[in-house]
Amino acid sequence: MTENIFLITLVVLAIVALNTKKLRRAVVYLGAFSLVSSFVYLLYGAPDVAIAEAIIGSTITTVLYLVALRKYQVFSIYYANSVGDQTSRYLNDNSTFLNNLEAFLIQREMEPQLIYSGAPIETIVDQEKFDLAIHHTDQDIWIYGCAEDYQLDAVEEYLLTNYGDLNIHLIRCAEGEDNEA
Amino acid sequence: MTDRSEIISRMTGLLYPFILLFGFYIILNGHASPGGGFQGGAVLASVFITRYLVEPDRCIRLKTLKTAEKTLFVCIILYPAFFLFSTTANHSELMNLTYLVAMNFLIGLKVCSGFTIIFFRFAFYEGGI
Repeated sequence: MTENIFLITLVVLAIVALNTKKLRRAVVYLGAFSLVSSFVYLLYGAPDVAIAEAIIGSTITTVLYLVALRKYQVFSIYYANSVGDQTSRYLNDNSTFLNNLEAFLIQREMEPQLIYSGAPIETIVDQEKFDLAIHHTDQDIWIYGCAEDYQLDAVEEYLLTNYGDLNIHLIRCAEGEDNEA
Repeated sequence: MTDRSEIISRMTGLLYPFILLFGFYIILNGHASPGGGFQGGAVLASVFITRYLVEPDRCIRLKTLKTAEKTLFVCIILYPAFFLFSTTANHSELMNLTYLVAMNFLIGLKVCSGFTIIFFRFAFYEGGI
């Protein structure tokens, strides 16, 4: 009887973990899932397996998943401006643009990290590790992104719907060799 | 984590000795009760892994851990070989007991260092950031 209750709990937890929107919450449900499953092992008379499942399933994998999520979440944006004298006007104009972009990224559960750079855009693209590099010239906004980043599609869609009137060019670069850690 | 929580760091600091004690209990009592080298080693490794949550710095010495793991691996291979081939006479009860406890202990330490290496490798060197 007790076993059946816990087995049903397992199924419910698995479905809930699959259907949550936020990944972090799904990881927590997965930890609870392995805890309950280790208890089921204990009920079936396998305490050895239960200990291993409780430790590996609910401690180590949970922490590993959380670290992986956190590593993926930091989204670094390089911002280079080459407008020249009329910087003040463009900077005011542009800060709302950047703020909205950041708000959009936060909404997608990421942590935007904005870096203002005085270096020319070519060196940034060549040498730095970036997720987005924004180059602002007199009329155009050039945005460089990594082609393998699936977040870039969402960013592009967002920019096209909200900032269609600005001259935005999106360039997908291949993954550089020095982007390897 | 970027914003360290005071509560978590204090509580894990309090819990470390108990986790360590529990891990060594599981390892050293593994021949008589459920548990053993692997499970106890995983418990010991969870000490290091929760330490990462408290203060994520790089002061852990991965190279030493790697050497320790390799040495332990050689010991794990050599000790049963010596045990099997050294004495032809019947093994006494006490010898078997020491053999089991020592093997559990070696395996536990090796699993602990292995898990720690895997985790810190992943946390510090993979994925670019």
